[in-house]
Amino acid sequence: MGHAKTLPADLSAPGFVRGWQARSLVVAVLFTVTAVVLATLDHSAEHIYRAWVVGLMMCFGFSVGGLALLMVQHVTGGKWGLLLRRPLEAMTRTLPLVFVYWIVTGLWMKKLFLWARFSDAAAALKAGLINETEAHAIEWKRPMLNPEAFWIVGLICFAIWAFYTWKLNSWSLQRDADGPSTTAYWIRKFDNLSGFGIVVYALTMTAAVIYWVMSMDVTWYSSVYGLLFLVGEGYQVLALAVLTALSLSKAEPIKTILRKTEQYDLGKFMMAFVMLNIYLAFSQFLIIWSGNLPEEIVWYMNRINGHWGIIITLDFIFHWLIPFSLLLSRDIKTNKKRLMRVAQWMIFAKAFDLFWLVEPNFKDAAGNLHFSWGILEYIAVPVAMVSLWVAYYSWQLTRRPLVQTNDPHLAEILEPEHAHA
Amino acid sequence: MALPREGIYGLLAEFETPTELVIAAKAAHDAGWRRLDCYSPYPLEEAAEVIGFHRNRVPLVTLIGGLMGLCAMFSLETWISTLAYPLNIAGRPTYSWPAFIVPAYEWTILFAGLSAAFGMLALNGLPSLYHPLFNAPSFRNGATVDKFFLCLEATDPKFDASEAKAFLEGFHPNSVVEVEY
Repeated sequence: MGHAKTLPADLSAPGFVRGWQARSLVVAVLFTVTAVVLATLDHSAEHIYRAWVVGLMMCFGFSVGGLALLMVQHVTGGKWGLLLRRPLEAMTRTLPLVFVYWIVTGLWMKKLFLWARFSDAAAALKAGLINETEAHAIEWKRPMLNPEAFWIVGLICFAIWAFYTWKLNSWSLQRDADGPSTTAYWIRKFDNLSGFGIVVYALTMTAAVIYWVMSMDVTWYSSVYGLLFLVGEGYQVLALAVLTALSLSKAEPIKTILRKTEQYDLGKFMMAFVMLNIYLAFSQFLIIWSGNLPEEIVWYMNRINGHWGIIITLDFIFHWLIPFSLLLSRDIKTNKKRLMRVAQWMIFAKAFDLFWLVEPNFKDAAGNLHFSWGILEYIAVPVAMVSLWVAYYSWQLTRRPLVQTNDPHLAEILEPEHAHA
Repeated sequence: MALPREGIYGLLAEFETPTELVIAAKAAHDAGWRRLDCYSPYPLEEAAEVIGFHRNRVPLVTLIGGLMGLCAMFSLETWISTLAYPLNIAGRPTYSWPAFIVPAYEWTILFAGLSAAFGMLALNGLPSLYHPLFNAPSFRNGATVDKFFLCLEATDPKFDASEAKAFLEGFHPNSVVEVEY
């Protein structure tokens, strides 16, 4: 039975965050060089474009997924939110880098999307470049899947995310500048913005993943696709946010406010996302497997046959079985070091899942997993892109106090905690 | 189930406030008492903490129950579909495991939930038709209303009726009574 702790006077990020920044920049450079070497060995840059999408989706997931989780915690409240708020805000402020990654993806559009490569599907069919199904799908989906729409929809989405990022971040500083008498006012204000924002996020995010990932296979469609990515973003963002909070807890100010209670809660929250993620992924599979329709089943056959079965099995193990089994344990959830390992593992598993989603979209790899130097780009390019992103994120972490002070939960989180068995 | 016994179950002290109970319980635990328990009308986390709340086997029982449910349903479905009543459903193999997952999962949850509930009851000795503490009128009247109790049990090797009574009275409880089996 101790007394309430007091918050340290200096709430800025500890010095070692600068070290994270420097280290991830070095990793980014090393892996960029690796990516170039691999492309030379492969005599083709083809896999760079594909792996770029994996990198884009990882960084997009952290940034815009961070925005979503930030809004969720504003709406739900709770002490866990106070702990993650500033890391999540830092994630949202990396949107400019994601925007640049997206522009590059757009410039490589013709390499990635059949609908962008062939403006005349009939001619391409005659020339034997695509099959009849693809020609039909390209023509049928033309109103949505065309280069102009790709740019316009993308720009609208980024404008909306930027607006929410700007509002939530600037209000957050104003909120701290105002005194405690304004707390209720600010909570209401954040609530109102975030509640609607979550809906808008779900719609814009769905549009984005349809354009950027799903349409790489122009013939296929799945109505749960947006939701699958939405939950996947929760999965990776929560893992990164927990990893950040636990790493920062080695020093003040997070050291003072991180308690076992909230750490345990966050561990349970991670478990919930692990479950929801496999639930949606398996639902999609079960429905398509049961229907066994020629329009849909091919997508899975491309991802199961020809040794892809190994990858999908590993994906299931990496993505669900391992984090699920580990997070079942209360000891692991309350042990900082172990929970950090689980969080790191989950981020890796997410990237592995994206590899399985992206690579079989292309003719040479569909239903035919084989080694080429190029396939190693799936390690080099995303690592380089995510490392650069981490450098940016670390820099953003240092730019604000790590704790929001104008918050009713602050007093509660400083109280001593009770028994944990 | 405890065998019928004779003699003293323990010494029961009644406190007016939770703080007094926690202070006394902490002192008793620090003094080396291990066979002791706190009783309060509502959950009192501090009390659990100071008397050395330890983990129990409910999670293990739940895990085993869940795995049993999983295996039971998956085997049942496999047996029905491949041996007992093989049906050709849309030309699929009779052993079509994706279709078995959902019921197997449901049984995992069901068995895990039931194991947690019944495992908890089995391990904490409920339902119990008799508990010696109810022999104390103060306990009967106050334990579920507004009084806080600390019981030092006779099975503790440190237990000595007069010493324990003196120890408890040091904390100025409302009363200290001997509880018979």
